[in-house]
Amino acid sequence: MIHRRATAVTAAVASLVLAAGCSAPGGGDESSGDDSGPIKIALVDAQSGQLSSLGAWELKGARLAVDEWNARGGINGRQIALDVFDDQGDPTIGTNLARKIDSEGYLAMIGTAESAVTIAMAPILEQAEIPNITSGQSPGLVATGSDFLFLNGPTSTTYDETLAEHIVDRQGTRNIAMITNNGGYGKGEHDAFLEALRKRDVTPVADQVVTTDQKDFSAVLTGIRQKNPQVIFLGAEEVESGLIVKQARDLGITATFAGAAPQGTPVFIDTAGADNAEGTIVSSPYLSNDISDASKTFAAAYKATFNEDAELHGAKAYDGTQILLTALKTSNVATGRELADAIRATRYAGLLGDFAFDQTGVGIFATSVGVIRDGKLVAATS
Amino acid sequence: MQVFLQTVVGGVSLGAVYALVALGFSLVYRTMGLVNFAHGNVVTVGAYLASTFYLSSRLPFALAMAVAIGLTGAIGLIIERVLRPLENRDFDLMLIGTIGFGIVLDALIIMIWGATGRAVPSPVPSAPLDVFGLRIRTYDLVVLAIAAIATVLLVLFLSRTKTGAAMQAVAMDHEAATAVGIHVGRSNAVAFMIGAGLAALAGGLVGPLLYVSPALGGTLGIKGFAAAILGGFGSIPGAIAGGLAIGILDSFTAGHFQGYSELVTFLIFTVIIMVRPTGVFGERTVNRA
Repeated sequence: MIHRRATAVTAAVASLVLAAGCSAPGGGDESSGDDSGPIKIALVDAQSGQLSSLGAWELKGARLAVDEWNARGGINGRQIALDVFDDQGDPTIGTNLARKIDSEGYLAMIGTAESAVTIAMAPILEQAEIPNITSGQSPGLVATGSDFLFLNGPTSTTYDETLAEHIVDRQGTRNIAMITNNGGYGKGEHDAFLEALRKRDVTPVADQVVTTDQKDFSAVLTGIRQKNPQVIFLGAEEVESGLIVKQARDLGITATFAGAAPQGTPVFIDTAGADNAEGTIVSSPYLSNDISDASKTFAAAYKATFNEDAELHGAKAYDGTQILLTALKTSNVATGRELADAIRATRYAGLLGDFAFDQTGVGIFATSVGVIRDGKLVAATS
Repeated sequence: MQVFLQTVVGGVSLGAVYALVALGFSLVYRTMGLVNFAHGNVVTVGAYLASTFYLSSRLPFALAMAVAIGLTGAIGLIIERVLRPLENRDFDLMLIGTIGFGIVLDALIIMIWGATGRAVPSPVPSAPLDVFGLRIRTYDLVVLAIAAIATVLLVLFLSRTKTGAAMQAVAMDHEAATAVGIHVGRSNAVAFMIGAGLAALAGGLVGPLLYVSPALGGTLGIKGFAAAILGGFGSIPGAIAGGLAIGILDSFTAGHFQGYSELVTFLIFTVIIMVRPTGVFGERTVNRA
């Protein structure tokens, strides 16, 4: 009798599981259509591990935007709940989290700051029809072809095209070496900068690839020193780039360094040492907190809330979250494809520029060139 | 030739740090037959404590290091005290206990110091030495000297002091050691305390070379563990040789195999271990379980 009852229970559970498995994609999140209670937004980022500084900045930017909207009464009288998930910068953990935020009925996702993690999560979020606004910048994000993936900044192609234009076209430098890492970000930077150089008929004197975990760059840098380049392009995250610059200066390399967003951050400057980082050329859509009235207001609110200076990643996440919340409002808290379409249709004058998304999910197509002077990133004069 | 020598110089200073981490692993293993999986996390705690006293409390670097070593040593004592009831009863639970401690320490680090890291400026700001075109950082020499002094002191402690001799006796046969009146628990506690102190020394020294973040101990822990195995787990000279070997090997594979360097390092490591399972200096497998 007990055996028969157990079999019946097992069969019932199995049929429930099967029914859930066979339901239409996106159909599993009925709770998201619930028009009472808070609007659930997930923030997925590294909150621990080597990339946690990116995750911490992104969280602060997103939190600021959500708090602003909640203080104004939320959307349609509903408060916005921003729940944080730690992916540890690991694509495997990221994919598990993608399933979790689907099953728990989140309407949209902010993050991650890591291209490799975002790319790993993209197919699951696409199937679940959960719009995702990422801070990643790898061209690989666009290559996923997901209608639900949006970038809150430019891709590496834009960053590096601007950089090559400044270094090669304007400054006339053709003696360039490259150091990139083999992670998702570094690979994107490698391909984008090499392509920008190729378009200008420039072949780098050295094209060195390091691992994301590498700590000692003696062999790589000694080889580069013998080529005596004028500029060394860096395609690695902030801590690794800072270590490369510090070790390069110790080896007597005087070349100017150049790179994209990570090379404009305080973490890069602190790790390298301000003297060593002096003169580094940076391509960024957000050069400083004093560029416009909007950036000044944002920076003041950031400082008041978190007691630290705002920077690019926080600004990107702030813009991305504002766009998402605006789209939620204009679409009357729509979900799935309707929300994705609303995001794509949103025109937003943000801290990074005027967002107008194209079909690939990219909304910004310009960066400016800055230089590190006296330990701060300032606009380049030439 | 210059690339070759510069690569060796680059590998040696990190190798010395790996050696210190390996020494901590080996000491606990030698005394208790236990792999302390929390060791890498203890390195991170040591690095954060040293950087906090150096940067925030503005203590001189040497003093900041000494305080950090003392406090981290106390954490080692706590770990041993919690694990003590399991000693000689459930070895697997002790192993899992060290993993659990590692997770707890990681969480505490993020709660206390936050998820983002900090850059530590070099305490010896002088320019690198130029020796026939080779550039040698003065701080690298400091790291090498301190690592060498720490190793000599450890060897002297183990061979010349009563407590050290007692620890060696416990490692050889803990039942016989108990029979002659040696307090096994206290001996293990000293091993854990010195192991944690060495971890703090490694973490504190590596701060100005790298970047102090919650992830620091992960890399150093794995490399230090590999160094201990390569040299022969439990062997003091083995830990030093293994540390330097991993440091230099890393540096060379980075130059020759670029993005695949980590893979090649561990492939070479695997081949050596397959040929000599007890490591270069290991003569026997310590197993108290």
